[in-house]
Amino acid sequence: MISHMSTPQLADATGTGLAGPENVIEVGALRQKYGDFEAVRGISFAVPRGEVFALLGTNGAGKTTTMEVLEGYTPATDGTVRVLGLDPIRQHRELRPRVGIMLQEGGFLGDLTVAETVDLWKGLSQDAGRPVTLSGSTELPGGFTLMGTRIRRVDRVTMGALELVGLEKKARVKVKQLSGGQKRRLDLALAVLSGPEVLFLDEPTTGMDPEARRTTWKVVEGLRDAGTTVLLTTHYLEEAERLADRLAIMHEGRIHTHGTVDEVVATSGDMITFRLPGTSWTFGDLPALDGVTPVLTYAGGGTEVGYTLTGSDTGTRAHAALRPLLAWADAHGETLGRLAVRRGTLEDVFMRIVGEV
Amino acid sequence: MKTDVLHAVRLARIDLTLVGRNTTVLFNVMLMPILIAALYSTFPVGETAGVSGEVFVLTGVPGLMLAFAVFINLVNAFTSRREELVLKRLRGGQPSAAAVMAGSGLSALVLFLFQVVLLGIWVYRFEGILPANVPMMVLAAALGVAVFGLIAAAFSGMTPNAEMAQITVLPVLLVMMVAAPVAFPADVLPGPLAVVTGLLPVTPIVEMMRTGFLGADHFTSGGEKLSMVGQWVAALPSIGILLVWIVIGGLLARWLFRWEPRHG
Ligand SMILES: Nc1ncnc2c1ncn2[C@@H]1O[C@H](COP(=O)(O)OP(=O)(O)OP(=O)(O)O)[C@@H](O)[C@H]1O
Ligand SMILES: [Mg+2]
Repeated sequence: MISHMSTPQLADATGTGLAGPENVIEVGALRQKYGDFEAVRGISFAVPRGEVFALLGTNGAGKTTTMEVLEGYTPATDGTVRVLGLDPIRQHRELRPRVGIMLQEGGFLGDLTVAETVDLWKGLSQDAGRPVTLSGSTELPGGFTLMGTRIRRVDRVTMGALELVGLEKKARVKVKQLSGGQKRRLDLALAVLSGPEVLFLDEPTTGMDPEARRTTWKVVEGLRDAGTTVLLTTHYLEEAERLADRLAIMHEGRIHTHGTVDEVVATSGDMITFRLPGTSWTFGDLPALDGVTPVLTYAGGGTEVGYTLTGSDTGTRAHAALRPLLAWADAHGETLGRLAVRRGTLEDVFMRIVGEV
Repeated sequence: MKTDVLHAVRLARIDLTLVGRNTTVLFNVMLMPILIAALYSTFPVGETAGVSGEVFVLTGVPGLMLAFAVFINLVNAFTSRREELVLKRLRGGQPSAAAVMAGSGLSALVLFLFQVVLLGIWVYRFEGILPANVPMMVLAAALGVAVFGLIAAAFSGMTPNAEMAQITVLPVLLVMMVAAPVAFPADVLPGPLAVVTGLLPVTPIVEMMRTGFLGADHFTSGGEKLSMVGQWVAALPSIGILLVWIVIGGLLARWLFRWEPRHG
């Protein structure tokens, strides 16, 4: 649905010695202070062209702050940031037409209708030499007066933007009458309208219903497939798992872990759990698997046994550990009740990071 | 540059649409100045500077309109849009900072000129006087909007929220209502006061407007008829003062204007 315009060659105006211009976003040793408080404490990452990068983290971790430095709202206290090889503050004028931004919250003209808002954004984009190429399936007629209000035509381009986010039925509703999630949808439509080369999405799906969230994911995936580079923040781990090529988890101004979803999850280990009858077991009775001793909890007249496998071969370690475990069970004539093997999740990693600091 | 102009025009049109939809703003901007004009024109008797007191006052009323249609309107607009994060969003979108400011200025100029036209119709209808030098009036309006637009931007920076705007505009409003040479020429005031009044930005605007309306020298209390060239020559010091104010206003705005709500 989004036909993407050809992306011009990146200017290599960095001269920073950071990675080359194939990185659309570069953050090097960024620090950001508000008065005495250091919200971002030296983070570095790079996002290559066409990648979706997710920043996860606790409330107040510094995600929005990082985004706003990249968007050119505030100069970095220390460190370097480059977007498309350009300085977001000094080369703002050059950068602006090529970037789409969805802020964490609002900022609409409430008395405009949804269609008028899109029309305004569309016009501004056109004026800047980036005509909007979306096309909807219908248009709404206008040019007449209904109960004292002038009804304007809503063209196909605007309808296309609204259809993209499922707001086509709200075209003539005032923005201030939209629900929270509907405003988020409108926000998304505006951010992607001009076919940006780089898209910043700050908690794009917060407040959206599950269907809208899925729509948003499809929009982001569509853009990524067309070559758009996306930096997004989210509190929904499944969103990061679904969308992000790579992600970083922030806490108190620092990045604690980063990589592909698989790489990050691998650090959390695979879980093997089962139940043994009786409460007389100690961990000396049980075998070490992959060099790991189990954790035992006694409950309901039985013993819950859990191993967390953190061996280096993430693909095969669970399988490798099951063999000696089953051999042990056979040898001792025990049955492993409710035996379960579970891959580590992003949530495990997240909770560990938040917990250990 | 061309993009900025297109953006400013587009934003100004949206501004005007929104003014039309907001009754409070509509009242403040459109009716208030007319009411004040009606009120002021009932005071004077006799002659001032070669014209009837009523004509003198009416041709000076644009100075007051400037306070309402431009200054108060813009302080309100800048402040509420900052608090509602509209300015932040616009700045993150396609338009540049200059285009956003220019858009607001442009819509204020349109409103202001519209009021001056209404006033012109009134003056013609009741006094039989047609404006003598329209370009001078338009220039006065444009310079006036530039100066007071920038001062409004600076004042909105000191205004924490839209309700407080009613209070922060008061000092400027009072000075404008008292010092603007609406009811009598600036130079009939005692020495130092006349100098100070003459240097305030509202004075040259009122004097240029009145001179433009009447085709006579209203930069002094003389009020003698002037040729077109004579009018422009007489206006030069006023234009100079306004240009200086644009610089001052620009510096103040740069220093005080805020795009985002202050935290904490
Ligand atoms: N303008 C400001 N002045 C002072 N402190 C600020 C300002 N903006 C943000 N902070 C502080 O900086 C820290 C990081 O804020 P930021 O908005 O970047 O967090 P975040 O990771 O986006 O959190 P969330 O998930 O809640 O959106 C917070 O502790 C916040 O209180
Ligand atoms: Mg945030």
